Amino acid sequence: MTDSVPGTGDMVVIDEATAAEIAAEAEETAVTGADERLAYRGVFQRLLIRPEVGAIIGAAAVWAFFWSVADTFGVATGFASVLDVSATLGIMAVAVSLLMIGGEFDLSSGAATGALGIVTILLVKDIGELGGAGLSLHIAIPLSLIVALGLGFFNGVMVEKTGLPSFIVTLATFFILRGFKLGFSKLIIDNISVGRIDEAAANAELDKGSRGYEFWKPVFDGVWARNDHILDSRDTIWLVGFLVGGSLLAAAIYEMNFRSNDKRNPMGLIVMAAGIAGAIATILYMHNSDGRSANVLAAALLAVAALASFGGLALWRYKRQAPGSTLFSNETLVWAIAGVVALNIGIFLAGWLGVESQESVLDLVGGLRWPLVLLGAAAGAYQVWRTQGSNFANDPFRIGATVAAIAASVAFAVYAFMFMTTEQGLRAILFGLFVLAGLLLLAMAAYKAGRVSPVARGLVLSVTALMGLRLAWFVQGQSRSTKFRTEAFSVILLTALMLLVWALVSTFFETRREDDARAASLSGLLARGGLLAIGIGLIARLLFTTTDEQAAGQTNPANFRMSVLWFIGITIFATWLLGSTKFGSWIFAVGGNKQAARQIGVPAARTKTQLFMIVSVAAWLVGLLLAFRLNTLQSGTGNGLEFEYIIAAVVGGTLLTGGYGSAFGAAIGALIIAMSKQGIPGARWNSDWRFAFLGIILLSAVIANNFIKTKAEAAGR
Amino acid sequence: MSTLIELEDIGKFYGNIIALQGVTTSVNAGEVTCVLGDNGAGKSTFIKILAGVHQHDAGDFRFEGESVKFNSPREALNKGIAAVYQDLAMVPLMSVWRNFFLGAEPSKGVWPFRWVDKKVASETAKAEMAKMGIDIRDTEQPVGTLSGGERQSVAIARAVYFGAKVLILDEPTSALGVRQSGVVLKYILAAAERGLGVIFITHNPAHAYPVGDRFLILNRGKSMGNFAKDEITQAELTQKMSGGAELEQLQHELSQGR
Repeated sequence: MTDSVPGTGDMVVIDEATAAEIAAEAEETAVTGADERLAYRGVFQRLLIRPEVGAIIGAAAVWAFFWSVADTFGVATGFASVLDVSATLGIMAVAVSLLMIGGEFDLSSGAATGALGIVTILLVKDIGELGGAGLSLHIAIPLSLIVALGLGFFNGVMVEKTGLPSFIVTLATFFILRGFKLGFSKLIIDNISVGRIDEAAANAELDKGSRGYEFWKPVFDGVWARNDHILDSRDTIWLVGFLVGGSLLAAAIYEMNFRSNDKRNPMGLIVMAAGIAGAIATILYMHNSDGRSANVLAAALLAVAALASFGGLALWRYKRQAPGSTLFSNETLVWAIAGVVALNIGIFLAGWLGVESQESVLDLVGGLRWPLVLLGAAAGAYQVWRTQGSNFANDPFRIGATVAAIAASVAFAVYAFMFMTTEQGLRAILFGLFVLAGLLLLAMAAYKAGRVSPVARGLVLSVTALMGLRLAWFVQGQSRSTKFRTEAFSVILLTALMLLVWALVSTFFETRREDDARAASLSGLLARGGLLAIGIGLIARLLFTTTDEQAAGQTNPANFRMSVLWFIGITIFATWLLGSTKFGSWIFAVGGNKQAARQIGVPAARTKTQLFMIVSVAAWLVGLLLAFRLNTLQSGTGNGLEFEYIIAAVVGGTLLTGGYGSAFGAAIGALIIAMSKQGIPGARWNSDWRFAFLGIILLSAVIANNFIKTKAEAAGR
Repeated sequence: MSTLIELEDIGKFYGNIIALQGVTTSVNAGEVTCVLGDNGAGKSTFIKILAGVHQHDAGDFRFEGESVKFNSPREALNKGIAAVYQDLAMVPLMSVWRNFFLGAEPSKGVWPFRWVDKKVASETAKAEMAKMGIDIRDTEQPVGTLSGGERQSVAIARAVYFGAKVLILDEPTSALGVRQSGVVLKYILAAAERGLGVIFITHNPAHAYPVGDRFLILNRGKSMGNFAKDEITQAELTQKMSGGAELEQLQHELSQGR
């Protein structure tokens, strides 16, 4: 089939036999269905192609980072304030992301929030001769909504009719609004701060019921005082959720390697029964015990039990992959088990030998933080580079890992000798050696497993990550030095997280064949279950306070406000709108290929105008939230925030060029920005660094999104 | 076989430029009419007249027996003439089923809470593609990740599903490799087998001859003839298309140059 190259207008005359061959080959392709190059896209890969996944991983990393450096993070107090900051930002970011997916920008969105709040306040204010309408809020709120709709309509029509870039048109609107805000505020009340919205209640001409302040205040600024909600088993629920969820995720990864089997294996049922029995026993034990370490142990046991149950299920109903590619060699199992055992011996020794004064042990580990960070970073970078190609034959992994391990060991040994003379020093070395040996053994297991199948490597790495978390919690629980605790904890947590991401990426970017699809269903179920368990744990962790914390004085006001509910509601609505409605399809279409959308009958101009109106209605809502919250708005309120909305949307995976993105991602993006706003002062850093941090997040988010999108698409080809 | 389109001495003039002159051919249901011509032969003008983008200035254009002159592509589409252009009118980052149903999404629920019936949409898209002989495993995958031939088949299946009687394909194989071209030719036959009249525009006689039932050859805006398959061989087709004598001359020069 080399004699014809279509498209070049070649003169070679193809005989009919060749033509028939073309047709026959086409027939064959169609009959056998799949082109053998079409790779199967697994559960995780389908997840990774979604625009918001990068943002979620980023949010987890930022959160873990700030949790470790700022004491207020990771508990209800900090979470409430992060949510509070993210709510108004997030509502706008979600609306703006819809507009951006539709291929347009709205630079007036920030100024519009303040403007619409001020309009409402001026409508309810009664200032006698100077102006102000003195209306009831029942009338003023719908009126300002009409103003908002008009503003969006104006933006949309201007952009559509003139055909100018929305960037320029809305930049003009931004300045117009800015001028109006200042001008009208000064003209009407001779002041640049416009207040107060509760004066509707003081208007003498209206009777109390019709003023509306009592009615609307809880709608826009109700408060759920979370300090009333005490849950002493909070940390247990969180730990159990995390470990069980992690185990289920590991099981999901494991499951990917299996095919449905017609022959049932009774051994599976036995293992499953043992797992379930173990889980029940653990829960009973937990019920009868108290204390942190007992709970940690119970959570770990429960995780093992859950793994055993699902492993049994897998064994019962499924069989291993294609013959010849068994999941584990015995060698791998030996290495992995040895690694886990060594690591736990280390932890046990450190706890057993010196419960009273383990400060130096932990300082020693603290000294290891930079080698560990470098090791983790090198491994991560290496793996990212490695996914570019698929030649595993000349695997330099062993060399790289060995060199890094030797370097880390030497650094560790030198450091350790300084402590040799003391009892703590001995303990430190024992702890350090066992932990390091455990990690090396696990790395070896991962290497051995990787030679058999990428899935096996993913599993071993997940186990290693779980071990890392175990280490992190041990260290956090043992240390008394806040400075040390936060640093070591953050390093270990981040390393473990990186390892987990590495495991997922390396496992699921491997090319898979069609029959892998069958393994995906159970795997997807497990993954969902795992995420749910982690989610439940996290919610318990973030919404509730323990008696200890209250006693420790963490009682500064941290309340969940109505704005958060609005934020959640609008995110859900926008996600539904985008994903499940006709209008959602049209948004993607006008942003992705306006010409094509128009050709095929999508009302492009109307869709875009509606998008501008959605943004201005969101601005109206945020204006009201701010007005009820602050009572008085400055004429500058909201100016300049439009770029934060755009950043949030972009961090959430929305393409600047339109046609791709997610409303949920934008909400996560808003959370990331809010976390950096709250976390930097929380860590007692100079808050001037906030903008630099924001810039770095933006850049890394864009690069990560781009990378993930290209990877996932390329693999889906 | 019923005749869907008959064209008699169709002409199109832009001022004093003759873009198309004296074109006569017909399109029958269940048959493939190939329009062949080198670059600048008037193929684009020809399609645009059929699809309602331009109007003809001379001759007679009969659709299902009655004389027509379409004022817009929408009008042609309503009659059942669908054109699949080279750029395919697709949104690359959108999923297959969304592209398939874009602008005509099946909905359910009560206003204002109406949503797209994803299950029906996804299954219909899959089934329609299967009728064309292509197995789309995952209709959620973005159209941009499909191969050129598969993308072509989505466009064809979409036009067929939305009630086209005549399908105009503008150079569907020009950007494809040998294998993919073969796949697209198969879709063309599949569409014809389902009773559509297909107009297949190409400059590659090797692609046209295996699938065509009738061949219209254009050169410099003029018809070089309108043949049924049994009246012409592929070699003759190639020769006529490039202006006969010119090709022989060229072949001679090329062999001299070696």
